[in-house]
Amino acid sequence: MRQSADRKPLPEITDLTRPFWSAAREGKLVMQKCPSCGTIDFFPKPWCIECGKREREWVEVSPRGTVYSYTVASLVMMNLPGWEKDLPVILCLVDLDDGGRMYAQLVGCPPEEVRIGMRVEAHFEQISDEAGIPKFRPL
Amino acid sequence: MRGKVAIVGYGRTPYSRVKPGEPVLTVDEYIAWAADLALQRAGMSKNDFDGQGLAVAHAEAAHTVNWSASVAETLGISPKVLLRADQGGASASALLIRAAAMIEAGVVDRVLVVGADTPLTIPSVAPGLPLSPERSRGPYWDFQGPFGVMGATAQFALIQTRYQHEHELTDEQLAKIAVVTRYHASLNPGAIYRKPIAVEDYINSRVLSAPLRLFDCVPIVNGGLAYIVTAAKSARTITDRPAYLLGFGEVNNYYHGSRTRPDVTYTGFVKAAPEAFRMAGVEHKDIDLFQPYDDYPFIVVMQIEDCGFCKKGQGGRFVEERNLRFDGDFPLSTDGGQLSGGQPGGAIGGFAPLIEAVTQLRGEAGERQVKDVSITLSLGFGGIPYGRPGRSCAAIILGSEG
Repeated sequence: MRQSADRKPLPEITDLTRPFWSAAREGKLVMQKCPSCGTIDFFPKPWCIECGKREREWVEVSPRGTVYSYTVASLVMMNLPGWEKDLPVILCLVDLDDGGRMYAQLVGCPPEEVRIGMRVEAHFEQISDEAGIPKFRPL
Repeated sequence: MRGKVAIVGYGRTPYSRVKPGEPVLTVDEYIAWAADLALQRAGMSKNDFDGQGLAVAHAEAAHTVNWSASVAETLGISPKVLLRADQGGASASALLIRAAAMIEAGVVDRVLVVGADTPLTIPSVAPGLPLSPERSRGPYWDFQGPFGVMGATAQFALIQTRYQHEHELTDEQLAKIAVVTRYHASLNPGAIYRKPIAVEDYINSRVLSAPLRLFDCVPIVNGGLAYIVTAAKSARTITDRPAYLLGFGEVNNYYHGSRTRPDVTYTGFVKAAPEAFRMAGVEHKDIDLFQPYDDYPFIVVMQIEDCGFCKKGQGGRFVEERNLRFDGDFPLSTDGGQLSGGQPGGAIGGFAPLIEAVTQLRGEAGERQVKDVSITLSLGFGGIPYGRPGRSCAAIILGSEG
């Protein structure tokens, strides 16, 4: 498992997943879209999970979305110790405006104020030379 | 398939929290120990399984390419058929279904099913993160670890938050499940936490990943379990108390609604349970004992709903209104469940609900014996898909009459 100098996990980047990490490094949110049925899905997969077509295209999607659910983690469990200094971590499932649902952190929001249905917008933090990661703030 | 196979023996080793001074056993040792207990109970020898079936639940501590054959080598058995399930908490139930199909097809007459894990002694690079490939590499991990997902408790906390947004479910209702499983554990010498707790103990326990608290979580243990399944005709020559497989249902990677944005307040039991009831030809009122896969109390509530004991959203009230004790009107998790009984890793914990059902049907549950129990429903629930609950759902209905 790759990890950063401050002991947080880094992804093993493959040709399948590189477009996501590279775009996030450049401050953009991209997801796979099926050219056949139009489904937008996250995380990256080898074919469309709705229709099974292997053709995939990467499209830039709106960085805005809505909190589908959330939890406030007050300790590091089954992750690398580097997260300790970020606690409490607000972890959300965010439904993006253009489609797809993702695990993501919510920052810039007191833990007691996060709500389902809250409108949020992604910004991007660089986590390695090759990769960035989206985190969300309240809109 | 109704009544065509039966479980004729089972074994569960003592569980270990690996306290200082306790012997540290390997997965192989626990498998042999659990298999020995099952064979003794059935009055069989390991040599009875040469030319028959050996089924192995995937352990997190051991993930070789030839894992099931390696177990056969360790035990000195030459099976005709090897079965291996890698469905986490659903493996034990899934292997019963696979074994039943093999037996009914006439390929074998009997299958020895084993599982053990040593999650407390797996080398770890991080708190609670065992070094198994599925947890620490591949796209699944790549899109969770770096995003700050803190493992199963955080993943399930997201599901509970959404459930409580849509439906009423109170702390007191959840506490009732934690309290009753602990009460049952106090009656089970093999359970790991046996000191009774009160509703306030649950509510005051430390929040780990809100809304989930410490007393929502299972205590992880090292241990092993096993059972023996045979053709019904053979079962009657082995024991006077076979536990017959009356019905089963299984679904893997279930989506409730769209695949990319499903409703996470449902599990695959909405598909698996009705299949099991249909095959068994029984109704909900016929179930004398419910053995959910209790990795968290709110999951028990969802399983009660998805198995059809009440409507979606009414599980909290159902729990409140019913008596869940072994001598109550809706007994559940009479072994203490995994919540108080212990979980030998997410890969093996699924043996426990099934084996307690067999224990009860055979009248071998001691102080916690459910009176006049003749039909049970037990669940296997395994794996956590991205942003959803439960990759594999298997429902098993057993009965004391074939």
